Amino acid sequence: MAQPAKPGKGRVVVDWLTTTDHKKIGYLYLGTSFVYFLIAGVMALLIRAQLAMPGLTIIQTKEQYNQLFTMHGTIMLLMFATPLFAGFANVLMPVQIGAPDVAFPRLNAIAYWFYFWGSFIAVAGFFTPQGAASFGWFAYAPLSNTTFSPGLGGDLWVFGLALSGFGTILGGVNFITTIITMRAPGMTMFRMPIFTWNTLVTSILVIMAFPPLAAALFALGADRKFGAHIFDPENGGAMLWQHLFWFFGHPEVYIIALPFFGIVSEIFPVFSRKPIFGYRTLIYATIAIAALSMTVWAHHMYVTGSVLLPFFAFTTMLIAVPTGVKIFNWIGTLWRGSITFETPMLWSLGFLTTFIFGGLTGVILASPALDFHVSDSYFVVAHFHYVVFGTVVFAMFAGFYFWWPKFTGKMLNERLGKIHFWLLFFGFHITFLIQHWLGVKGMPRRYYTYLEGDGFTWMNQVSSAGSLLLGLSMLPFLWNVWITSRKGKMVELNDPWGYGRSLEWATSSPFPRHNFTTIPRIRSESPAFDLNHPEYASPDAKPLSGKGKK
Amino acid sequence: MLPKRRNRWAVVPLFAVLIASLSGCTSYEFSRGWLPGVTGVTNHTERIVSLWAGSWIVLYAVGIIAWGLMFWAIIVYRRRKGDAEIPPQLRYNMPIEALFTVVPFILVLGFFALTARDIDAIEKPVASDYKIEVVGKQWSWDFNYVNDNVYDSGIQLQDVTEEAEKELPTLYLPVNRTVEFDLVSRDVIHSFWVIDFLYKKDVFPGKVNKMYITPQVIGTYKGKCAELCGEFHSMMLFNVKVVSQEDYDARMDELAKMGNVGQLTANPDDPDNINRNNNLPGNKPKSEG
Amino acid sequence: MKTNVTMLNVLTIFNLLVAGIYGFWTYTADGEIEVIGFAALTMLVFLTGFISFYLAKSAKNFVGPEDNPDANIEDGEAEMGFFAPWSWWPLVLGVGCALSFTALAVGWWLFALGFVFSMIGLIGFVFEHSRGQHAH
Repeated sequence: MAQPAKPGKGRVVVDWLTTTDHKKIGYLYLGTSFVYFLIAGVMALLIRAQLAMPGLTIIQTKEQYNQLFTMHGTIMLLMFATPLFAGFANVLMPVQIGAPDVAFPRLNAIAYWFYFWGSFIAVAGFFTPQGAASFGWFAYAPLSNTTFSPGLGGDLWVFGLALSGFGTILGGVNFITTIITMRAPGMTMFRMPIFTWNTLVTSILVIMAFPPLAAALFALGADRKFGAHIFDPENGGAMLWQHLFWFFGHPEVYIIALPFFGIVSEIFPVFSRKPIFGYRTLIYATIAIAALSMTVWAHHMYVTGSVLLPFFAFTTMLIAVPTGVKIFNWIGTLWRGSITFETPMLWSLGFLTTFIFGGLTGVILASPALDFHVSDSYFVVAHFHYVVFGTVVFAMFAGFYFWWPKFTGKMLNERLGKIHFWLLFFGFHITFLIQHWLGVKGMPRRYYTYLEGDGFTWMNQVSSAGSLLLGLSMLPFLWNVWITSRKGKMVELNDPWGYGRSLEWATSSPFPRHNFTTIPRIRSESPAFDLNHPEYASPDAKPLSGKGKK
Repeated sequence: MLPKRRNRWAVVPLFAVLIASLSGCTSYEFSRGWLPGVTGVTNHTERIVSLWAGSWIVLYAVGIIAWGLMFWAIIVYRRRKGDAEIPPQLRYNMPIEALFTVVPFILVLGFFALTARDIDAIEKPVASDYKIEVVGKQWSWDFNYVNDNVYDSGIQLQDVTEEAEKELPTLYLPVNRTVEFDLVSRDVIHSFWVIDFLYKKDVFPGKVNKMYITPQVIGTYKGKCAELCGEFHSMMLFNVKVVSQEDYDARMDELAKMGNVGQLTANPDDPDNINRNNNLPGNKPKSEG
Repeated sequence: MKTNVTMLNVLTIFNLLVAGIYGFWTYTADGEIEVIGFAALTMLVFLTGFISFYLAKSAKNFVGPEDNPDANIEDGEAEMGFFAPWSWWPLVLGVGCALSFTALAVGWWLFALGFVFSMIGLIGFVFEHSRGQHAH
């Protein structure tokens, strides 16, 4: 950011601590969540090291191992992926709708601090004598009560997540209000970019799903600390917890998926030089996914013996239909385009390749008859890493490379970016593809080790080797960020990629303090493209008389 | 932008995946979709294998179409020198969009119909020759042979070696007899998974789950706990031996002779039960006294 | 606004249908309604219904320039409202709530401290722009 005289470091710290600027708050979310990504990633490497051979004791105790996968899951879902959505939405959504900020800027900052402190509290369990929570990220009762999991770590997990969850809810409220009330003139709902639409739908999902989590967490906290008996098994407490948790837990995975679907929906058009294909049906499909996602929760509970199997099988299978519509719409965007393979496009194609397979294994899991065998096995671990990592991580990097000039005024190095992509792509698939077989052959999840006679050894070795490559692939990215900040040149262009479509590409790189000095006329879902390529602008956007910009 | 020469190398990873997926398989394994076990281990396995294999065929077809279209697009529509700067700005095509909405919906209806039929067949209670109560505990299994009024009790796995594997609690089942399993836990949720049976069901405290299986092939099968239950979750293994009627009756006599007469309860406060076995030295299953 | 009201109405009706089907189906299959899922789905009906009702009532027949497809940027209000340029109160409130929530895990003595911080933060936050140079 260009400033007349460089402020002292103290001033900079104060500036960031007291910011109410949605962009800065967004950068805080992006940075904090990326740090958590790296922390939980290291935990995953430790887990994979422990599983490389049967009978290893690289992780000294099984209790520590349980803490590792519990916190790996908790951090990745609630301290990385969900806040990452808040980060991207914060930075981009107001600019995409032509607003100067969000509706409630100070509430926005409060939401960030709730996330920051809540996550810190939950992870602080590692520094307690009995260690962090170790009952799995879904904290099934009664394992998660004080009889079976005593210790401050579990309590900190419960209350830390409750605080962080409130932050997410406040963020969701802010995004919905902003989108409803602060769009620029001419920015009708059906001209908003897909990323903004997905932010809206995700925020509605947040306010539907996070309150049950908060309630469940407070109830568990009451059991653990205040002598309540809400989840006692004699009163059906075990099933009560599962219903409450998964009623949150399933929409949660769509909360982390939809915004990233939004990101790739921005990138495919720019690097195919065509608008997104099937804009309206994409939006309807997204709304259908959100609606259906509230009705499928017990597909995580098929083997409990107490859920209405056909209802949940049907709704879960149904959700594949709008998901498929989105996949075909993305392919339709590529179709007959003029495709170039800059890093954001590579990452988006990596997402699409990976997500297709994750979606297919999801259909298998939707059927209880097939899920009875593979539930709670590495097949499920493979599935969810394909869909979640495939969506969140690939699209995150796609978004970073794409919008870096908007955030910082500089482009990340393309060559390093491609190295980063290929290392990660192969690292990911080597790690997780083989886990499908592992699960089918009978390896349960959350296992510390396995028998020599199980026949799992070679598959675990392949997966662990892949994880090393996956871990190493982060290094070119970190190097890229570092040298770009040191030696990168400012781009001085509004639209460095050349074919940007949404409003953020009609303002400077980096963003001005209040987002725009002028806003172009909005007549389609691609106002920046209409401005910069008026001959190809959408029919509604063409000026009424003669050529040239109005 | 990918120069032409590098495009040919793209087939290398493609072939690698193809070879990798075809290698390490016999056509027998392939026909079972790599599900473990042999044909007909229980009365339900062939139904499951057939739904699994059929589903994968359809899913791979869908996947080949999706990946195929994607790869076709990025190869054929990649930007080449001399192309128009901006291609036609196509925004929608209702017939195609209707097609890729309706066809998957029909596939879903079909898959649901088959699934509903199969879950009904697998889950419905049937009259059984034998009842066995499986009590899950931290961190092993007690088996109550209800018809014979004897029990067997286990402790967790001690080592990952094949010798240690033999010491695991072993459930005996008579071949070709229908068995009703009553599953209950003494403490936290566990899950009773016999891998080659292609089936598991959770074991809850405060609730009895039932499953109905007819084992059909004599053999020894591996069992594992499949729900995180605390520190020794990965050690909570067991064996299942499907034996002839004579061998089964002999085992029941053996248990009676060992003094395991009666039934272990699900009540954690019952003094006859071993609870929360923290695997301290000198650890022994109840059946060894 | 109309689009948002419509979308929320669609969600409300969908949730109502699903709650009804789920309640009925679990009742006929098991002899009793699966009460947790039924209650949760029913509450969703009220959530989305309430928001759509509020939006419909508060923006009755109002079509702002953002919903006008032929609007020009100049048509928008010149003054969008007051946006706080910076504020210490979110951090104070955040720390206060962090201490309070930690106290639920750690002990009531910490809650006293957390409560004080949170109250200071809350009151400071609410009255920030009604005090000092903003007093009116």
